[in-house]
Parts: sequence; structure tokens; C-alpha cells
Amino acid sequence: MRIPIFAALAFGVASAAMAADSVPSSIDLAEFPAAAVDDVVVPVPSEIFNVLDKLGNPNWKGELRESLGRNSGNRTQIALLLGTVIAEGFIAVEAEDSERVKDIGREVLELSQAIGVQKAVVARSNAIIQKADQRDWGGVRTELDGALQDVRGAMAELNDEDLAQLVSLGGWIRGTAVLTSIVQKDYKPQRAELLHQPELLAYFDRQLDEMNPRLRKSELVTRIKSMLGEIKPLIIEGEGRKIRPESVERIHTLTSELVVQITDADA
Amino acid sequence: MNKRLLNTLLALLCLPLVLHATVDDALSFAYEAATPYVREGFTFREDAWGGDLGVSDKKAVAAQLFRGNDYWFCLGTDVDNAVVTVHIYDSKGKLAESKAWQKGRFAGAFVKPKQTGTYYAIIEVKSSPQERTPWALVYGYR
Repeated sequence: MRIPIFAALAFGVASAAMAADSVPSSIDLAEFPAAAVDDVVVPVPSEIFNVLDKLGNPNWKGELRESLGRNSGNRTQIALLLGTVIAEGFIAVEAEDSERVKDIGREVLELSQAIGVQKAVVARSNAIIQKADQRDWGGVRTELDGALQDVRGAMAELNDEDLAQLVSLGGWIRGTAVLTSIVQKDYKPQRAELLHQPELLAYFDRQLDEMNPRLRKSELVTRIKSMLGEIKPLIIEGEGRKIRPESVERIHTLTSELVVQITDADA
Repeated sequence: MNKRLLNTLLALLCLPLVLHATVDDALSFAYEAATPYVREGFTFREDAWGGDLGVSDKKAVAAQLFRGNDYWFCLGTDVDNAVVTVHIYDSKGKLAESKAWQKGRFAGAFVKPKQTGTYYAIIEVKSSPQERTPWALVYGYR
């Protein structure tokens, strides 16, 4: 069960660490009944960008899209678009482009308004703009992560879990498009390994299957489902198998095409 | 509707609120366990995971972790004298943590993933004076 956090909590220092008791060096995960295994935790974008920071200094400015996209008035598209815009915010932070970050902060608010969750992100949007002015990049990242969580939380409260999933998916698609762009420009197996996310893909796939049939049959969702199916075999690693450059290129093509479809969607 | 039935319905309506409150309380202890690592530069996510377990029951929370990051998983419960543990295993079921500690209602495990992929935080209530023990888990990365 996932629980929301409504406020930062400050407490005293935890007591000194103690050695763990005898812990089995291996377990049989199959012994866990399905009810005892929570769905995979979707990583926040900062976790991935944090690793990318350590892997060199790509041309982040070159990765920024010229347009943030167009709101078609369709809630499915807006939710996906919102996810891509938040992901774009992380790229703008990496590029240290404060004007772009401020545009994104305003766009997050506008899109949130279009799907009725603006109250949840007003403070985040203002904080993104303020921290971009101060060039507090770590702070902007925290606010972008928070905006994503708040939008999802507000949608869940409105019983719009499906749309909340689409926000996450939009962010993942744009994030993966830029990640693959960077990896293919300077391919190293350690970088490509960031794409090894089998359970996460399976989770997204399950979420799409469980969506309201009307949403599930929408053109964008159908395309996402097809894309996930094509990506799954490309990101398998292990037993000496690495994600190959041609797989990275293919994933980049698939996710970039979808970003275009989401941001330029007519319906 | 008779008064007894009404009281039963009211009690049932209140139950989720009571359970939620205790998981929220457990969360405050999970954050207490995380405090030293915040000072070490770990960023803790603003969401968390929780529930309640019987003694010796286990729960697995799956997480996508990335090689290149360090992670601390911190667990807490608000039940006095309860003992809870958290340990991290990789997708093959091998123990993946390089540090772990346990102190009564608090526990923590540190993992520096050798590979990017799915990992499992295994939560267990070792002992507790209560039949069901609320727990909350947070994790941070650096």
C-alpha cells in the first residue's frame, strides 16, 4: 500500500546503528504470495538524473525540445503531456536554463488547471519559478519531483488513478527518449544499463490493461501499449547479456515518436 | 435502524481512519530513522509505503534501483516494543545490502546496486505486543 506524505517531518537523530541479526543470504521470491508483494515503485526522475550527473557532461541544451507541446483539450493527452513537460523540466535543470525552467513551471500549472488539479501544484509551480530565478537547481529538481507526486495524489483523490498513471507514463516516455539520446551519443554498457527496467515496464503494461476500456482504446494509449511490447525484449540484461547500441537506438526512435505524438496530438 | 446496528456501522466507518492514522504514525518513525542519512546528503522521496503485518509475516516492496546511486531504506513502526526489520534482495533473491541495522521499532538497510534492475525490500515484524503492527517504509538516494 502506498501512503501519501503531506508534510516534511523533522525528528531527532536515530539511535546508533546495531548489527543486523542473522539474515538469509538468499530467499526464494516465489514463496511470496502475490498479495505479499507490492507493485514496483516507480522511480522519481531525479533518481535517474542523479546517475546521469555522475556519467559525464552531455549537451543538455541540445536535448531540450523547442516546443513544450499543445493542449488538445483531451484529458488523456493532457495527462501524458503534463508528464512530458515535467520531464522536460529536469532536462532544463541539467541545461541550467532558468528561463526554460520558469516556462515549464507555468506550463505545469496551466496543464494542471486543464485537468482540475491546479490547487495541488500552485505552490510547487511558484517554487519552481522562484528557485529557477535563484539558480537553485537542486531545489528545482525537488519541486519537480514534488509536482509529479502532488499531481498524481490529487488525481487519485479525484478517483482519476488512470490519468495519474498516464502522467507517470508521459514522464517516463520523455525521460527515456532523452536518456537513450544521451546514451547513443556516447555508448557505454554502464550507461545503457540504466534502461534495464523489466519490472517497471511490466507494471506500466499491467496498469494499461486495467484502465477504463474507453481510455485503453484511445489512440495514444494503444500506441503506448504497442511501444512497451516492443521495448520489453530490448532491455533484458543478465548472464553476460548487455543492452546493445542498436537496442538503445530503437528505444530512442520508439519513445521519441511517441513524444511527438503526445505533444502534437490533435485529439 | 436500531441503535446497535447504527453503532456498528459508525465503528466500521471509523476503522479506515484509525488504520490510516497509525500508518501515518509509523511513517513519522520511518522518517526519524532516515534523519541521519538526510544529513549525509541522501534525498528521501516524498512518498512512502506502508501497511500492517502480523508477527513473522513478511511483505516485499519492489523497487527499480539504478547502479550509480546509493540507497538507504528506512523502516519504522509506532508500536512500542515491536521489533521490525528490512533487508534488500536482488531480483534473483540474493541479499544485496552492504549494511543493515535494527533497533526496536526502527530498521535500515543500505544498498549500492551492482546492477540496475528490480530489488525487493523485505519487511518483517519479528515481534510485537499487538496482533497487527503498522509499518512504514521510506527510501532515499544519493
